[in-house]
Amino acid sequence: MIDININGNIVSAKAGEMLIVVADRENISVPRFCYHKKLSVVSSCRICLVDVEGAIKPQPACSTPVVHGMKVQTQNVKTKNSQKSVMEFLLINHPLDCPICDQGGECELQDVAVKYGSDISSFSEGKRVVTDSDIGVLIQTDMTRCIHCTRCVRFGVEIAGIMEMGGTGRGENLKIEPFLEQGIQSELSGNMIDICPVGALTSKPFKYELRSWQMNSIPSIARHDLVGSNLLVQPYKGKVKRVVSADNDLVNEIWISDRDRFSYESLTHKNRLLKPQIKVQGRWNQVSWEVALDYAVKGLNSHILNHQKADQLGGLVSNTATMEEFYLFKKILTEVGCDNIDYRLNVKNLDNTIILDSNIKLDALEKIDYALIIGTNIRLEQPMINHRLRKATKKGADVDVLNVMVFDFNYSLHTENIIAPNKIAFILAGVLKSIMINNGQELPDYLIAINVDEMAKNIAYKVLNSDSSVIILGEHIINNVDASTIANLVTKIAQSTNSRTLNLSITANAIAANLVGCVPQNSGMNVNTMLASDMRGFILLDIYPQYNFHHLGAAIKAFEKDDTFVISLNSFKDDIVVGYSDVILPIASIYETSGTHLNINNDMQSYIAAVKAPNEVKPAWKVLKVMADLLELPGFNYEDSTQVLTEISYQSHVSHTHDINGNLASYHNGISVIWQNSPYSIDAVLRHSRTLQKTKIGQMNNAYMNQTSAKALKVSVGDKYLGVFVVITDAVADNCVFINTNQTINIQGQA
Amino acid sequence: MISIKARNQIDVWIAKYPKDRQSSAVMQALKIVQAENENILSASTIQEVADYLDMSGIAVQEVATFYENYNYKKVGKYVIRFCHNISCMLNGADDLIKHIENKLGVKTGEVTLDGLISVKKVECLGACVGAPMFQINEEYFENLTVDKIDKIVDNLK
Ligand code: SF4
Ligand code: FES
Ligand code: FES
Repeated sequence: MIDININGNIVSAKAGEMLIVVADRENISVPRFCYHKKLSVVSSCRICLVDVEGAIKPQPACSTPVVHGMKVQTQNVKTKNSQKSVMEFLLINHPLDCPICDQGGECELQDVAVKYGSDISSFSEGKRVVTDSDIGVLIQTDMTRCIHCTRCVRFGVEIAGIMEMGGTGRGENLKIEPFLEQGIQSELSGNMIDICPVGALTSKPFKYELRSWQMNSIPSIARHDLVGSNLLVQPYKGKVKRVVSADNDLVNEIWISDRDRFSYESLTHKNRLLKPQIKVQGRWNQVSWEVALDYAVKGLNSHILNHQKADQLGGLVSNTATMEEFYLFKKILTEVGCDNIDYRLNVKNLDNTIILDSNIKLDALEKIDYALIIGTNIRLEQPMINHRLRKATKKGADVDVLNVMVFDFNYSLHTENIIAPNKIAFILAGVLKSIMINNGQELPDYLIAINVDEMAKNIAYKVLNSDSSVIILGEHIINNVDASTIANLVTKIAQSTNSRTLNLSITANAIAANLVGCVPQNSGMNVNTMLASDMRGFILLDIYPQYNFHHLGAAIKAFEKDDTFVISLNSFKDDIVVGYSDVILPIASIYETSGTHLNINNDMQSYIAAVKAPNEVKPAWKVLKVMADLLELPGFNYEDSTQVLTEISYQSHVSHTHDINGNLASYHNGISVIWQNSPYSIDAVLRHSRTLQKTKIGQMNNAYMNQTSAKALKVSVGDKYLGVFVVITDAVADNCVFINTNQTINIQGQA
Repeated sequence: MISIKARNQIDVWIAKYPKDRQSSAVMQALKIVQAENENILSASTIQEVADYLDMSGIAVQEVATFYENYNYKKVGKYVIRFCHNISCMLNGADDLIKHIENKLGVKTGEVTLDGLISVKKVECLGACVGAPMFQINEEYFENLTVDKIDKIVDNLK
């Protein structure tokens, strides 16, 4: 540590740190445009000039390393004069159109101009005007306002991993633009809006909506992935107008995915359910909450509870609910004597599931030196986790991939292995065998006959020879014929090499669902058993069968049965839900309810409601509480959701493992279909987010397969397979169809 | 499409730089590709160069738009690159540029009707000692005057 003197005060610093870092830590304000703490230093704008004793000219604080005894003045005349001149220079070509600029009020240029600018410019020539290119539906450009700080360019290169913006031309003709009007594609693109210091890049859906000072900023948590990025939700008169990122270095640093940034638009979708409704003698009536809840409870009693048939009631919940909702949902069912509960709706065979711990924290992930990624398009499925991995690769980590298809990674891979789904378990068994031989361990029976090929050998070598490695198992494995074996092999490989594991086969708030116990215990039925049994009733929380279920036909059939009483809690209208429900209760959507998200770090991140739910819509936890009261169940005297949270006990229900039972003898034959909702269609909120749906990622709706599989399935380009357009490409492994579908066409009245 | 011949030429340049630094060859690659395509770089050739060097399209475009020796519009058989940077400007470049524009009947950035000559204003070519100066294709002409320019230009065929 060294001492330096800033404005007459002695502060301590690390030798070689940049002056601006020290000043920021000491809360000494130094203006900046090009400098950004998460980006490389280019020192091009010169607004951060400060007076350093001994230097003739003022020095840029962002690129001047501190040395012991340095004396710095950030407020004296010399500093102020240089900042004034730089401001005058920057404003030469700036349009000063603050009154019509969306950045007004939160513009770094405006702030600095007020503080350091001068009233009169000595420049009287004409200002330049830059023609804008359309860079997509999410970001509005007004490039005449650009001050060429290149933050957005560096963001592309350094953070998003694809250089999309660049500076073309030179001198006065320098222009920041993308290549050829080709829109911005990155799944993190919205962050450019946050980092652009001026109004050159602003949010398109928010264009001309409001001034920043008219809105509050309410801290919240993103719900669409396992990270739970920290957000600021900005409402005005009860409507969410914008979402921006909040800092949390342990979670999302300062970035959020586009998915988390723009999904608020769904809240005002015209398909929101606004009133409770009940179906009486085949006809739907909109009714008050009292009537609806009374009808629901009477229905439950008369169909099920009065006959002591609680074992014929089923509770299904999607992974989007809050932790408190999971808990209350489970508690109601338990109290009425029903163990049939499940959230694992998209799993084909629940005797063959992935049980795997996640035991590495997000910030540790960027310090690993090796990762093996199995079965995930991680960049689009878990953007913020992928970002941490990308950082690790930049520091030299190697990443091997075992996937069924070539995906677009934004870092270079050590090896990318495209293998058929039915071979994945065998490769991993080969890896385990190779490791065990290396460690001199005795081989279990199921490994003896396993052939260790080059791929397995190479992976084993990497896992063995890295100091901190992680094995990541993704969503494409959930319905693999060897799913549970694969998860077990991963656990064993990790154990014998001291690796960490990351379970990305689930998402959203599924970790909370697991912890709270929204899976059947004792003699309870799992979802697939329920669908196949003769049930008298269901309570469904945030369920849209055509998107949620693997066995969707069976699900709809089970709910539709004449004598089955179905209570649905939903936020959006849906024809299929209307078709089978007896009661539909409108529940609050994201940002309209308080709750807790449990992320992959095991952080319980609670949030409050940023806005009140519209009309008569109520938060699901309140609906569940009142339902419990009407059912006369004890122990539901909650006044707010935090009281629910304190009651939740911390026992995880995922700790058991099944063992591998010699089923590695031969490959399973046939073509496997991996069916996934596309990244912007994984939940109802996203499916109703107008602008996200218009992006390239939002439009993903294809069934990918190679020539051989297409022949075997007798389909060709232009055909549909399982309702989705066929794309024939070598990028897919043999014996595999990979489907990414958005299916928004099925949402009635999509705006 | 970048021809096999051009690829071979580019590969010679790539080989001069350390492994994984093939992007260092971008200026030469653009030059080679431009020479093959009637002296013009189109967006698609820029993308091809980008793919060949494993760069993003915009990164190549940054380079291609920074230097005046790359062209986007049709140029003449002879390209006069007239320096108008500080030394040349102080020595009367602006008047000389006007002269040449009048003489050829074109504005800077344009080509003569017969397609023979085009004129461009460029930044310092590193020959300030002989300012004012211009470059015709690969050759430098320094200490220019109206007479000297007339003679040089009249000799272009
Ligand atoms: S658009 Fe914004 S972030 Fe990009 S260079 Fe211009 S001012 Fe900087
Ligand atoms: S912030 Fe230091 S030069 Fe731009
Ligand atoms: S200014 Fe013209 S050659 Fe340097």
